[in-house]
Amino acid sequence: MLNYIWISLIALGICAAAGSDIADEAGNRYRNSEAIPVTFTVTRRATPLRPAWEGTVDLSAEAFDAVYGAGAADSAIRQRATLVREGTGGGRLALAVDPSAPARWREMARGASVQDNLSASASGVAFTADSAAASMQIVFEPIRFVKLRAVTAAALDYAATAVTIAIGLIGVMALWLGLMSIAEKAGLLHVLTRALAPLTRRLFPDVPPDHPAMGAMIMNIAANMLGLSNAATPLGLKAMEELNRLNPKLGTATNAMVTFLAINTGGLILIPATAIAVRAAAGSANPGIIIGTSIIGAGCATVAGVAASRILERLPLYRREGSSRG
Amino acid sequence: MADALRTLINAVAVAAIPLVIVVFLVWGLVRRVKVYEVFVEGAKEGFTTAVRIIPYLVAMLVAIGVFRASGALDILTRILSPVTSLVGMPPETLTMALMRPLSGSGSLGVMTELMKAHGPDSLIGIMASTMYGSSETTFYVLAVYFGAVGIKDTRHAVPVGIIADVAGMLAAVWIVNLLFR
Repeated sequence: MLNYIWISLIALGICAAAGSDIADEAGNRYRNSEAIPVTFTVTRRATPLRPAWEGTVDLSAEAFDAVYGAGAADSAIRQRATLVREGTGGGRLALAVDPSAPARWREMARGASVQDNLSASASGVAFTADSAAASMQIVFEPIRFVKLRAVTAAALDYAATAVTIAIGLIGVMALWLGLMSIAEKAGLLHVLTRALAPLTRRLFPDVPPDHPAMGAMIMNIAANMLGLSNAATPLGLKAMEELNRLNPKLGTATNAMVTFLAINTGGLILIPATAIAVRAAAGSANPGIIIGTSIIGAGCATVAGVAASRILERLPLYRREGSSRG
Repeated sequence: MADALRTLINAVAVAAIPLVIVVFLVWGLVRRVKVYEVFVEGAKEGFTTAVRIIPYLVAMLVAIGVFRASGALDILTRILSPVTSLVGMPPETLTMALMRPLSGSGSLGVMTELMKAHGPDSLIGIMASTMYGSSETTFYVLAVYFGAVGIKDTRHAVPVGIIADVAGMLAAVWIVNLLFR
């Protein structure tokens, strides 16, 4: 099943990207090779040694809408730019697109040959008598395949992120594995698992009640509920390794593993600290109001997940634990 | 009452790790465990486990990254929103519900944007933050946990994860509509 999910994420992604690029091209969303009239306001003049004029490109919201369609701009546009004059009345304009730019230009800048920098050829450059401003027509470099470029960049970025996450885990992983082996040797996990045995025996009937896997699972669930995700992941991985020792068929998930993951993905947490912090930052009058609703939501997710894992594990389609695949 | 409870739980969360470390070490000393040697011996495995999950994590995150960057989520939202509106889920929060199982940082971004656009105490704001708290990033958890033990045949884990997510999201929609509408 993970095979199908995986391939559909990738296939859907690439098809959607290609489709929207084709639609953009057909509708000329980025107005390739269309001239846009702008005003260039000079902040620093060119000198013989430094031939670029520095200044801003100014455009009213109405003029922007006239080019890109109604509602494309919220307010007048002013973006930093440099102009190098070429011949009579011509030139090259480089626009540094910052977050105040209209969404369409920011989108274009992401797909431009130089990131966040739109280059354009200028024509009809006419300076005012005092050289404080110039009017001109600009044509941006052709912008194409914005989404496909973004998809490529994301694939490479996320591959690197995966390694960063894994490497970042080494330290906390070592810390918790070390502590857990002390607890195991000292018999502490024994005490913990015996106390919770009535509950865990029902949840994980295939795992012996005093197996180290139980201790690690209990610790992982407790850490998750307290919102200690730094501790929860190493403890969860330790639990998976212990569960795998009971696995008669390596490479295939056991019932206990799936039930354990159902509890984990349910995400039951007593204080959803991240959501509360974001609400507080957004100026909520009562950031903690979602504690109750989140517990109900996550509780339902966990109960549904555990129930589903106990029901689905009996279906012939999934019943291949420990036996040869049929 | 609710505030006192929240303070208590917060305090427990802050004190939990130091407390666990102290209890483990003291218990070990009492039972005459050579704590330092045993710690180092156990910690050794940390490196191999972390490295072992890399290929699984790369596979999963690249797929999720491609999906997110492509804008396929917007298309999916447009297709599904007439259906989900029937259960009282505003189309804006559908993006959240679809993003939540895929990406932690992505859903955090969606939640922040929704709050900026609609206000944190609006129905949409409350629903989005409840959804964020109602589930985990299922596919990330699946990749990491199964990756650590080299599980390739995940059997019913994916349907179970999706059932849990759908249940969590529907429960969030139901309770928020019930209490805040």
